[in-house]
Amino acid sequence: MEGKRDKKMVLIIDDDVKHLLTAKGLLENMGYEVRIHHFAFGATNAVRETKPDLVLLDMNMPGLSGERLSKLLLSNGKTKDIPIVFYSSNDEDNLRKAVVEYGVKGYIAKGDIFELRKKVASYLESPIG
Amino acid sequence: MDQLCGESPQVGKLITSREHLQPDVVVRDVADRFFKSSELDALALVEGRNPLGLVTRPKFFFTVFRRYGFELYGRKPIITIADTAPLLMHEDERLDVAIDKALERPPQDVYDDIVVVNESGSYAGLLSVKQMVIQQSTVLANNIIQKEMVQAKAKEIERMSELRSRFIAHVTHELRSPVNAIIGLAELIQVSSRKGYMEQMKDRLALLMSSATNLRAIVTNILDLSKIEAGKMEVITEQFNVVTLLNEAAETTRVLVGNKPVNVEVIAHEDPLFMVSDPVKIRQILTNLLSNAAKFTEKGKILISLGLEGSRVRIVVSDTGIGIRENEMDKLFVAFSQLEDTMTKRHEGTGLGLTITKNLLTILGGKITVASNFGEGTSFTVFFPLNHMTKEDSSDGRQERQKDGTDH
Repeated sequence: MEGKRDKKMVLIIDDDVKHLLTAKGLLENMGYEVRIHHFAFGATNAVRETKPDLVLLDMNMPGLSGERLSKLLLSNGKTKDIPIVFYSSNDEDNLRKAVVEYGVKGYIAKGDIFELRKKVASYLESPIG
Repeated sequence: MDQLCGESPQVGKLITSREHLQPDVVVRDVADRFFKSSELDALALVEGRNPLGLVTRPKFFFTVFRRYGFELYGRKPIITIADTAPLLMHEDERLDVAIDKALERPPQDVYDDIVVVNESGSYAGLLSVKQMVIQQSTVLANNIIQKEMVQAKAKEIERMSELRSRFIAHVTHELRSPVNAIIGLAELIQVSSRKGYMEQMKDRLALLMSSATNLRAIVTNILDLSKIEAGKMEVITEQFNVVTLLNEAAETTRVLVGNKPVNVEVIAHEDPLFMVSDPVKIRQILTNLLSNAAKFTEKGKILISLGLEGSRVRIVVSDTGIGIRENEMDKLFVAFSQLEDTMTKRHEGTGLGLTITKNLLTILGGKITVASNFGEGTSFTVFFPLNHMTKEDSSDGRQERQKDGTDH
């Protein structure tokens, strides 16, 4: 419906403001447009409305976990094609397992800035989504 | 040992009687023996060492009285009315096999004693079927108990390892999360400083500080818990006024409550109440309880009340917060079980506070109870001995130490 954006857009969903602001700052410095959504509640709407090119989804959130939220997003016709990546402080083994279990595009372990940049770039440049 | 191992013992070890007679002893003498010793159930007939037959009490009397008559046949040798083909069994036979064989006999013979022989075929003794069955049921019961014990143990180990890995997963997350924020923020501050954005730098530094403070709290908690688990937590006692300590704790709580409409009050006598214990640990316990109260109470009040019950100090921390559901009560003191789902994160916090609190209380000889109405509030009650006796304080320290390691 709307015209092509000149910038790729990333939506970050996290319950921790510090992580939201940090990731936002880091990705904006790479030249991406970044939206943030605090907590899981209302996140489905946020995804539907912003139509991001990539969703960075925290896992451990009160009330609704990132895993369950990913299920909701992937089963909803309007959001199922938007690529989701888990963005979490959890152990990487758990992250790998969760990626397989929930069928999301991948994961980014929080804290490794280099990896964050590299992976976001690769998810956004790849033909998917 | 056999029973403990859960295996069927050998029948040689279960022989109930070694009574035997020569086969030519007359029937009347055998009757005398049975009459005289009422516990004698059976006699084996043995010539030299060879078992030739078996006489059991019920069959003997049945035969003598009904078919022959005592007077008439009393003088005949016992072998004429004995069972000359009793069930023979090797002494190495397993009990369960022996029982199977015994029970395979015709109904009238089922309860007849079994003649046990050794390797060379010599008479070794008699085996009571009744005793064998009792023995076997004990073995079976032991087996069942053992099986249950082993299963319970296995379950426990499984549960512990499950808890352990959950604990590690949580520690990983809890430690990484603030570290990650610190790294990201440091990078961003660098960017801000390059661009000369002072305001942005200030904001980011504030976030960095709060992440670092959070990290310190988590590290301290994890170290405390490790210390407690390793039994290395030392108790340093001194005399102090617990009323002062409560007032200080209340002051800290007011800071934590911030702008929320929550009153923090101390209910205690104005007079000082001196106790001998470890004030640092008691402060830590109260801080844990009060920071929880501050965190989970949006409006209303937090009360800290002090009482004395005999030689115990009672401190109650009650709030008008969100409360705790009945079914979540028992998870309360388990590390990282911070209510809600384990994977859906909770309120800010390490999830270790109550576990540490409970452990510290145990170390100080105290205990904790909790009562809560979901949606209405929670109240934690802690008890401490007014005088925490240490080994060093007791009049005969050396002896105390030798007896045991406990302090009270």
